[in-house]
Amino acid sequence: MKGAVSRIVLVALIAVILIVGVVTGVALTRRGTATQSSSTSSSPYSSVVSPPSSSETTTKSANTSSLVVEEGQQPDSLDPAVTFQTSGWEVVEQVYQGLVAPDGTSVTTYVGVLARNWSVSQHGMTYTFTLRQGVHFSNGDPFNAYVEWFSVYRTLIMNQAPAFILGQNLATTNGVNFTVNATTLNSMNYFNPSPSNLSVMEYPLQSVQVLGPYEMAFHLGYGYNGESPYNAFLATLSTPMAYAVDPAVVEAHGGVVANQTNSWMQSNALGTGFYALKSWISGQSVTLVRNPDYWAADLPVSTLNYALKPAIIPTVIIYYKSASARVADIKSGVAQMIEAPVQDYQAFQGIAGVNATVLPIQFGSSEGIYYVYMDPNFTPFSNPLVREAVSYAIDYAGLIKSVLDGYGIQYTGPVPPGFPFYAQATAGLSPYRYDPVKAAELLAQAGYKASLPNGTILNPNGKSFPVFDFLYTSDSALETQTAQIIAAELQAVGIPASASPLSYAEYTSVIYTVGNSTAYPMGLAYYSEDFTASIDYVSALTENGYVSASAYYNATVFNWTVEAATSSSNQTISGAFSNITKAMYDQHVLIWLFVPEFMAVHADDIAGMIPNPAGSGMGYFMFYNTIYYT
Amino acid sequence: MVTLTTFREFLAFVIRRLASSALALFGVFVLVFLISHVLSPDPARLWAGPKARQSTIGAVAARYHLNLPLPQQFYYFLKDYLTGNLGTDPVTGRQISSEIAYYLPNTLELVLAALVVIVLVGVSLGYVSAMNFGSKKDTAIRIFYLVSWVTPTYLGAILAILVFSDYLHILPSGGMYSPVINAPPPVTGLFVLDSLIAGNLRAFASGMYHLALPALTLAFLNFGIITRVARSSILEVRWSPHVKSAAAKGLSERAINMRHVLRNGLIDVNTLSAVMFGWLLAGTVVVEQIFSWPGIGQFTYTVIASDDYPVLVPVVLVFTAGVILANFVADVLYSVLDPRIRLGGAR
Repeated sequence: MKGAVSRIVLVALIAVILIVGVVTGVALTRRGTATQSSSTSSSPYSSVVSPPSSSETTTKSANTSSLVVEEGQQPDSLDPAVTFQTSGWEVVEQVYQGLVAPDGTSVTTYVGVLARNWSVSQHGMTYTFTLRQGVHFSNGDPFNAYVEWFSVYRTLIMNQAPAFILGQNLATTNGVNFTVNATTLNSMNYFNPSPSNLSVMEYPLQSVQVLGPYEMAFHLGYGYNGESPYNAFLATLSTPMAYAVDPAVVEAHGGVVANQTNSWMQSNALGTGFYALKSWISGQSVTLVRNPDYWAADLPVSTLNYALKPAIIPTVIIYYKSASARVADIKSGVAQMIEAPVQDYQAFQGIAGVNATVLPIQFGSSEGIYYVYMDPNFTPFSNPLVREAVSYAIDYAGLIKSVLDGYGIQYTGPVPPGFPFYAQATAGLSPYRYDPVKAAELLAQAGYKASLPNGTILNPNGKSFPVFDFLYTSDSALETQTAQIIAAELQAVGIPASASPLSYAEYTSVIYTVGNSTAYPMGLAYYSEDFTASIDYVSALTENGYVSASAYYNATVFNWTVEAATSSSNQTISGAFSNITKAMYDQHVLIWLFVPEFMAVHADDIAGMIPNPAGSGMGYFMFYNTIYYT
Repeated sequence: MVTLTTFREFLAFVIRRLASSALALFGVFVLVFLISHVLSPDPARLWAGPKARQSTIGAVAARYHLNLPLPQQFYYFLKDYLTGNLGTDPVTGRQISSEIAYYLPNTLELVLAALVVIVLVGVSLGYVSAMNFGSKKDTAIRIFYLVSWVTPTYLGAILAILVFSDYLHILPSGGMYSPVINAPPPVTGLFVLDSLIAGNLRAFASGMYHLALPALTLAFLNFGIITRVARSSILEVRWSPHVKSAAAKGLSERAINMRHVLRNGLIDVNTLSAVMFGWLLAGTVVVEQIFSWPGIGQFTYTVIASDDYPVLVPVVLVFTAGVILANFVADVLYSVLDPRIRLGGAR
């Protein structure tokens, strides 16, 4: 009996502890959220930001001291040299800073961040930067040209997936008499360099040259693009790959190792930015707090551009939650911004206090443009009539309605819609048209049996189209649905495409295979930006050797691509893009499908987001420092 | 009375079960090796992850010996696991063993909390149901546990968020604790327990607050089987001769129920609870993903989504080991509670 009593007491004790814990938790949390206020505001998408004064912000309710953001995917890494996902860049862009950032209104103009100003040499081969003085990391370590020299070479030497963004134009060697390696980087003093250190960093025949403590030059031509200028160089330099990292911090945590990541830098962050990393609870959340020792905090406001302003909201918490949890939290006021698919746009319209806006198409373009590739080495697809037939076999409008609930647009690539030169490149071209009769007629003309929509067989004695695998990745519901619809439409006209899913890793191993042919002669592909520039898309989709990704290589087109990448004349660039677009359009090498639109969802009482497709903040803005409660 | 003979029988039983568990684990190990090393035409590219550079693919092939003949690959695979040298996660760059050590305790916390609720609720309802056999109460409880049993995990989890977070606003939709509090230093790895050890009541409250919804959801979706087994076992014992004898001796109904009916009726529940631990472990993949619970289940989902093969393989083995261990404990527990199982095994 004694045992029974003690068991009952134990169970009661546990129950009491559990109940007290939950109730206390509820009470504590509800006390924090009870003061949530709501008010309407003007559109936060204006590029003109007029945040309230600090006295105004302090009069707001208690929880305006934090901004809760919720999205689906947690960062892949917090190391600027490694992260290659939107969620990673989103955090890194708040903690670290680079020399330049896209300005608030355009994807082709930039503002200085760690650079005060810059100039470009006459032939576009050298970019010279004057750096700001008085910049320091959140631990007090100073920033200077030596630190930036270290940071850029560190990215190149670590050689992780996104390193190619810089590697197009920069390299660790000049190929003759100068090489920087991990040992070089780990042996330097960047705060008080010795004469021998200076002799290395100031050597002129290298990619990154230090000209003085606050002056440096980038010499293009050493990267795999070859000896040519690159008009999107500033776009590449505005990515995290060129952000300043503290050499002392890196050194204290294992230094630089060639071709390897740094485990400390992967999950910690210490930069010069307006926010500092408080915690990354892996699998749950990232918490950013206002950098208490932000170097630009004391500068006159009039001298600060939007990328430099101190943060207004003291704490930003980014949760990584399921879709249902995100919707529940924005409705209940727990979250102020969430990531949600554009197909849910109508569902958000009736929710009080929540603002859902479909953004201009360039934001969709930066997320992904979708197309069908065909392997020209697969016999039927070597025939231009067959490729043209494919272009007529797909019901583009129906596809957009089915898979995107109408929230997408049909386009003509490779320049993505909304990006610079899209209008010029596609002038006079109508997007591909759905006409199954025409598709069947073209197939018959090419010598194959074909079916009309009414069931009539054209060219009944013609060749049978070989059965083939139509590749798509099953990791994406959108792509699965799209691929299955397209395969059915192709079958309807007599092209026996068999929809064949692969996991994303296996899919990319096919898509990025360099060679002449694949087991998947046709498939669904998409491309999203690595850096914000039209040339990024055009180069990728006309690249030599990548059969499935581009399905296309043509020396003439390649030369136009080089022209578009290297010219400083908008007229020349526009002409090159126009030629490329027309050539690809006429030859039906890639069948351009659609660009899904992109939706921003946030509470009514926050504002100050400055949309820019280069930004990773919720996929549509760059910096959290400008956001405020109205 | 434990005699030497019965202890020897017990020991022999435990050794036999241990050997069969080890064999099962090895079988799964071989299976996982074959799936991960043989099925793909180019494992190195697959293991290196999407968009990996050629140098990374080469490094992955070298690290995991993927260019060697299959028997040698298996040798190194086995050696790595026996020495705990699981390598580095190519996606995060962290040590795989550290990642598992971080996520696994979080899952254990969730599973243990759910298991406590499952046993308490399951046994209570099973007892009430059996004692009111054929009544409306019995019918209601049976309907209730059948509803919980047939509810798909993802649906139950989403409904829980809709009701408690979206509609009632009383529990958080996800996470393990508030990121604005100072987390206690890890001692056991179980956040709630570590909070108590550190005397950090704010962290404890936050941990309990966040634990409540996923644990209750996991419990609700799984208590049905315990209720059903408890009910049928109690019914069986209730009508057995020794209970009738106890009644004939003049024992009170309460004493009969507590000493004879409940105690003997819960033997199956005890062992089932151990097996259920393995089920719950596997069930966390969906629950943790929906509730953003940073456990091994959510980690597994992430790893699968990013095709992170070097991590997926050890994670699968962790789940397997968990299920095998749970079954082993169940077997041993059963043999202690009901020695006939040992004799049956010996024959």
